[in-house]
Amino acid sequence: MKPLMLQGHERAITQIKYNREGDLLFSAAKDSKPNVWWSLNGERLGTFNGHGGVVWCLDVDWQTINLITGGGDSSCRLWDLETGKNIATIKTKSSVRTCNFSFSAYQAAYTTDRAMGHPCEVFIIDTRTIDDSISTQSPILKWEITDSKVTSMVWGTLDETIITGHETGDLIQWDLRTGKKVHSIKEHTHQINDMQLSRDGTMFITASKDQTSKLFDTSSLELLKEYKTERPVNSAALSPILDHVVLGGGQDAMEVTTTSTRQGKFDARFFHLVFEEEFGRVKGHFGPINSLAFHPDGKSYASGGEDGYVRVQSFDQSYFDYTFDYNRD
Amino acid sequence: MPVADDIQSSWADEVEIDLGALPPPSEVVENGLKVVTEYKYDNDNKKVKIVRTYKIEKRVVSKSIAKRKTWSKFGDSATDKPGPNPATTNVSEDVSMQFISSKEESQRPDDGDLDGLKPPTSRVIFKCRTCQGEHWTLSCPFQNSELAQAKANEAAKAADAKAGTTNKYVAPFLREGGAGRGTGREQPGARRDDVAAIRISNLSNFAVEADLEDLVKSFGPVQKLYLAKEKSTGHCKGFAYVHFKFRADAAKAIQLLNGHGYDHLILNVEWSKPPQNN
Repeated sequence: MKPLMLQGHERAITQIKYNREGDLLFSAAKDSKPNVWWSLNGERLGTFNGHGGVVWCLDVDWQTINLITGGGDSSCRLWDLETGKNIATIKTKSSVRTCNFSFSAYQAAYTTDRAMGHPCEVFIIDTRTIDDSISTQSPILKWEITDSKVTSMVWGTLDETIITGHETGDLIQWDLRTGKKVHSIKEHTHQINDMQLSRDGTMFITASKDQTSKLFDTSSLELLKEYKTERPVNSAALSPILDHVVLGGGQDAMEVTTTSTRQGKFDARFFHLVFEEEFGRVKGHFGPINSLAFHPDGKSYASGGEDGYVRVQSFDQSYFDYTFDYNRD
Repeated sequence: MPVADDIQSSWADEVEIDLGALPPPSEVVENGLKVVTEYKYDNDNKKVKIVRTYKIEKRVVSKSIAKRKTWSKFGDSATDKPGPNPATTNVSEDVSMQFISSKEESQRPDDGDLDGLKPPTSRVIFKCRTCQGEHWTLSCPFQNSELAQAKANEAAKAADAKAGTTNKYVAPFLREGGAGRGTGREQPGARRDDVAAIRISNLSNFAVEADLEDLVKSFGPVQKLYLAKEKSTGHCKGFAYVHFKFRADAAKAIQLLNGHGYDHLILNVEWSKPPQNN
């Protein structure tokens, strides 16, 4: 399988995501322009020009009408996907670290960094009608997080909760009706870099700097599985069709110059979901992988790296023919 | 095709084109393939031709995807032509998944090559020249003792010995150890194998190895048996060498077989002589 190399960014990729149907692939990087691509042939549909700095996060709604992005220029922006126009810009006091539409896209959540004397805050906004008024309207709900910074976030089931992953390794589930903690667990010892839901939303996988990736139940935050590596994990994704997990990571960007691209470091690593064992690796990037996403049809995946490239890799037949040998002792 | 085809350009015009501007890029669509040809100058200022072949595929997709297919490009891609822009999209070289079959492989600690980069904390990197201890020579407790003196003498000797061996290239056979092998060839009887070897001559032309084996195996274990044969006919040349395992067996064979009648001929058996150098 010859991967497609998407070279639309000048700097390290921060997050990539497919839309629900998988025909579009979105990428955000530390340069100021998020990109959107046709996932089939890697053709670039457009760039979203407007941010003034790093774009940390992006999300697309289920109908593929709008895009939400958040960045280091202390703004959270909403875009029209058909034209690439910036519809609304929400000014924040510090940089926006995570942003997500809820499943219905009636609401969106974003979190800000604790920086410049401002606390880390979580905002829930109404996105039923997306127009310029969002720039000025006040959020439905907002609360401060005093003890640690939020580094990743996903929506819980039925848009009733959100789950935040913290710098300290904590996972907290918040009830959106009250803004109170429902569950709080600490299964990771270091920062949680990424969280991604399974296809049906009942489970989610975390990727942590403590060199592990863990699978949790979305409603009870019960720890289900653990995948261990020897490097910090930057991103993890669940296959929508097979019991597979892909992990991406590597040495911290600042430590990269002291290491080589030897096997096993910057590879995308495939684990079996149930047996927690690694069964395959795919090479490609020259630096750590920062973000991973499975195509919704499960037949390809994309990875964005510190090297600034997005690689869209479709699986060979050998991947589908592979069966995990579970009779082994 | 345009009408301009009829007008023949003069050779002078063609030369002009060669020297000056690059030929215009072309795009041909046929048999479901799109071939895009471009010309440009590479880094060495040489003209290069780039041919890209795209496969045009039709796929059935849902309505919403089909609708999105009609969207026009925007942002930095607004001026791109339909199809992937080679500036942003490329096909990388083939990468296949490496399957990890053994458990050990996946759990193998992989920090092997990092060790070299880490400062060797456990290993001592300096040694006292006097007592080989883990301190600088300057701060050696035996600095002015007899030990120091003895060490100094030893070091001087070692230095002398080292000076004796020159840095010049020495052919392998002239080096130490190589000498024995070189001269061994000239010395008769130096080859160990020859010690228990006998030469049987005046054999009949029709003797074969089986006959020879029958003849000698009664004396003791045989290591090697060589019957000289004419290459073209395969007939015996009249002599053979037999290597016994033990010298005593060989001696017995010489004693009994020398002068023994075999196949209407009288055998001549003697110790095998090493090849004479001319």
